[in-house]
Amino acid sequence: MAIEYKKSQAIFNEFIGVEEAEALLEWLQKNPKGKVNFAECTHIHASSLQVLMAIKPPIAAEPNDADLAVWLNIALK
Amino acid sequence: MNNLLEQFLSEARDFLQGIAEKLMQLENEPNSTELMVELFRFVHTLKGNSGLFDFPEMTRVLHASEDLMDAVRNGRVSYSQTLADQLLEAMDFVSALMDEIELTGKTGSNHVGTSTELTNALRALLNAPSAVHVPVAIETYTEDGLAVKAISWSELPPMDLPESTAMGLHRCAVDGETVLWLQYTPEPECFFKGEDPFFLIRQIPDVAWRHIILNNTASTLAEMDVFSSQLVFQLLTIASTEELDDLLRYVPDQIHRVKVPALAFVKPTGNSDDVALDEDFIINILEFFDNDEIETLTNTINTMLELSSPELWSSSALRWILHLIETEPDNKPVQRTLLEALRTQKTPDWSALTLPDVEPTQNVVASPVVSVNISEISDTLLVYFNEVIEAQKEILSLPASSGGAWSAGRLKAVGATLIGCYRAVQRANEVEHIEDALKLALTENSPTPLLIWLDNSLLDTHEPVLVEDHEQHEEHLVANHLAAQTDAKSSRRPEEIGGANIVAASKTLKVDQDKIDRLMNLIGEMVVAKNALPYLANRAETVFGVRELSREIKAQYAVINRVAEEMQDTIMQVRMMPVSFIFQRFPRMVRDISRKLGKEVELVLEGEATEADKNIIEALSDPLIHIVRNSLDHGLEMPEARLAAGKFATGKLLIRASQESDRVLIEIIDDGKGIDPDVIKQKAYEKGLIDESTLERISDQDAVNLVFAAGFSTADVISDLSGRGVGMDVVRSAVEKVNGTVGIESERGKGTRLFLSLPLSMAVTNVMIIESNTQIFGVPMDMVVETVRVPRAHIRTIKQKQTTVLRGRIVPLLSLNDLLAKSEPQLPNEDDEFATLIVRVHGEHVGILVDDFRETVDIILKPMTGILGGLPGYSGAALLGDGSVLMVLNPRELI
Amino acid sequence: MPKTILLVDDSVTMLMSVKNNLEIAGFKVETAEDGVKAMAKLSSGLKPDLIITDINMPNMGGIELIKKARALPGFRFIPILTLTTESNQGRRDEGKAAGATGWLVKPVGGVDLLKIIKQVLPGA
Repeated sequence: MAIEYKKSQAIFNEFIGVEEAEALLEWLQKNPKGKVNFAECTHIHASSLQVLMAIKPPIAAEPNDADLAVWLNIALK
Repeated sequence: MNNLLEQFLSEARDFLQGIAEKLMQLENEPNSTELMVELFRFVHTLKGNSGLFDFPEMTRVLHASEDLMDAVRNGRVSYSQTLADQLLEAMDFVSALMDEIELTGKTGSNHVGTSTELTNALRALLNAPSAVHVPVAIETYTEDGLAVKAISWSELPPMDLPESTAMGLHRCAVDGETVLWLQYTPEPECFFKGEDPFFLIRQIPDVAWRHIILNNTASTLAEMDVFSSQLVFQLLTIASTEELDDLLRYVPDQIHRVKVPALAFVKPTGNSDDVALDEDFIINILEFFDNDEIETLTNTINTMLELSSPELWSSSALRWILHLIETEPDNKPVQRTLLEALRTQKTPDWSALTLPDVEPTQNVVASPVVSVNISEISDTLLVYFNEVIEAQKEILSLPASSGGAWSAGRLKAVGATLIGCYRAVQRANEVEHIEDALKLALTENSPTPLLIWLDNSLLDTHEPVLVEDHEQHEEHLVANHLAAQTDAKSSRRPEEIGGANIVAASKTLKVDQDKIDRLMNLIGEMVVAKNALPYLANRAETVFGVRELSREIKAQYAVINRVAEEMQDTIMQVRMMPVSFIFQRFPRMVRDISRKLGKEVELVLEGEATEADKNIIEALSDPLIHIVRNSLDHGLEMPEARLAAGKFATGKLLIRASQESDRVLIEIIDDGKGIDPDVIKQKAYEKGLIDESTLERISDQDAVNLVFAAGFSTADVISDLSGRGVGMDVVRSAVEKVNGTVGIESERGKGTRLFLSLPLSMAVTNVMIIESNTQIFGVPMDMVVETVRVPRAHIRTIKQKQTTVLRGRIVPLLSLNDLLAKSEPQLPNEDDEFATLIVRVHGEHVGILVDDFRETVDIILKPMTGILGGLPGYSGAALLGDGSVLMVLNPRELI
Repeated sequence: MPKTILLVDDSVTMLMSVKNNLEIAGFKVETAEDGVKAMAKLSSGLKPDLIITDINMPNMGGIELIKKARALPGFRFIPILTLTTESNQGRRDEGKAAGATGWLVKPVGGVDLLKIIKQVLPGA
């Protein structure tokens, strides 16, 4: 569950809830080169989505969830 | 359809009629300023009205018409035949749109083309530039509060759809699917309402294109408010409106939707060529196109595509042309415009172009109102059929020839024609019946049997009731009327069978009467079943001691009760039918009877559209026929007598229906000789209906009311029309059976007014439950004036009758036990008061002493049948929630 | 992990019926008979994923509950559905204005109930 912050990667697990956005923003600011890994992610709350859209971090892995992949492709390209 | 829209449609039709008339008149007086001004006013008002609604195509055409008429009115443009033709064509279009609105409540998107063409044609007459930019295909959604501000699809932001997606969507739109552009702008604080806009938008199905915009208001990332939504979602979907409405119902004000027409997708993409396509090639393909050599055209295009880079704009355009030829083969203008665009390499501005019909305007389809047999017959044939039948009716209605006798030849001719007609519409099975009727007509030497047959059969699927015994044929006439109206499956209103109605649209669904009755019964049972819940609640509390559960059950009861009431209301609406159902047979009946009596009568029917429950209408029919016959027989005088009395020879009979709150009022008014109270008094006295003292005291009005007394008949001569021992008392009891009342007013020499007041519906009766002698009974609430507890001390005995004074009025008191022939006395309560039901019987208040009052309940009153049916004093029985039977008293009969 | 729903209604029948439906669908359901009891559960560590509340209740009604719950730490973003017998717009809007995510209209059938919950509760 939730976002797991590794040294250079934020790993998004399954469903990302609304409250994750603050921590995500903070981490992405602190780790400008940090990558995001969506592989296991199924949904991201709009709050975190807008953080991702504001920063557009490099993507380590696209989501396996096809529908989410389409949306993130549009949002983060 | 809302009232405003209905009003608009009906008024608009008048305007269209007016416009057409004025145009015709203008042809004769092309210089009449007056006509011109009036014509302008019609068009102007119509345009203004249409603007109240969202019918952009209609408004646009009307707007252009108004501008044109304004110019004509001011002399800037002169009136011409062409102009009139063009205006008429525009009005035809408006009229067609109104048909569609009436049918579906809105206008389809497929009228854009016609609308634009007409607008341009009108503007051309005005010599104004036709390229006035008009927004196309504005779609607003108002259902369920999902109102959005209208914007035109041409104002939508560019979507950069891949060619294959665009072609797919184009195909969907051409196939009639709705392609919607949807924008969702969540309110900034939406996260604090537990919303996840991204999750919501992901649930929208069938998304063909999507886009997310971040409207970041913060200048630095650190300032970004992550919990304030700054997103805007846009997408294209072919999901159904219902699905979208359902999904987006919590956020309707944040949604913007625009319907995108097929043409919007026709947008070639790609790199612009360094060199334009060879002009020769373009000329070539245009020539193939204009000569309709489509195969050659496609072959040429395919060859060109093989030779060119697929990335080029022109290649994309060529692929689009192939796509259009395939999907919209008849949409030549668009194909041609795109072919020409190959020169400029720019997507044509479709919104400014004269849009051809995306789909051909569909005429209103024939509605399946008429029974199956008929739908197999062509409309034209049916129109002719009806014409011929009408002609036969006219022939049959002609007065007898000079000799007074009907010539057999004429009857035979009619018979033969009818047989021919019915064969032609594949109803040969009727031939036998026609022959029977003809035979009877010949024996009687009267056209009546044939007329009756015609009236009853026409093209309905039921076997006509045939007159067999000519001696009783007047009775059969009535019997047939009764049969006709009890048998609602065969609604035989002539206008329903008329050819015009077959073509005209109707949104009526014909349902088998049995099904409605069954539904009605089921709902009735449901109403009764729900009454079990209060009992259950009561038992939960008193027997099992679970007060909480009792409260719960009561709460649930309230919900079920509400739903049941709504169901009841709805089914009542379904069962409503107009009184015209009975009224329509009066013209014939009055004509026949008056002729027979040698009287001249003018029949006037009013308020035929007044509606009431089917059962009421049916119950009304019998008494009404009787009253009308009475009026004809006894009320209206012979022409000579009328002339002698200083009246017109032709008597007037008015039958009027109207609605007064929850009752239907039917009046039968004649200007005949009225009722002579003295004659009535005398007769009543002779028949022992009143005693001598009453004879002295009785007022004229009370005397007139005596006609309703049982066993009263005034006819001096027993005619074969009325006076077969059936008097007005039968009318009264028939009307009272359905909780109606009947009254009469009469002025000697001036005429008589009879009025029936009936409830609009009778399915559910509200009764008060009372207790007497350890039994419970129901009393219809509409008879109960009030309930009081009368202390024993306040009961006086006057002339051996118990009375009490209630608000300064003496009220006779009767004990229910006495009325029911029980010897037990009524039981007072602890304070020695008697529970007293004040009921209104024939206009008077009477108190009925009972043992106790209980609750009031809604019941489905079932009249008693068989041996019990003859039991006086009861209106029927009903099933209570606990399964017991409640006998419902009829105080009128009881007292 | 099953999602937890806090169901608040003063009608025990309603609680039972809705609870039953939700449990069949695999939710964990906590119930409370009014706003006060619901607030007590929320303040003492219950962390539901969704609150479904009636509007008209003794002691503390649904509107007040929504406002109070939203003010509690940890419940700012929780989806809340109001449960009303009234199908009238006013009641729904009142709930929405107080911070509800949406509404359910009683009596609500099993299928509808689950459909609506799935629409507002990601991952359900």
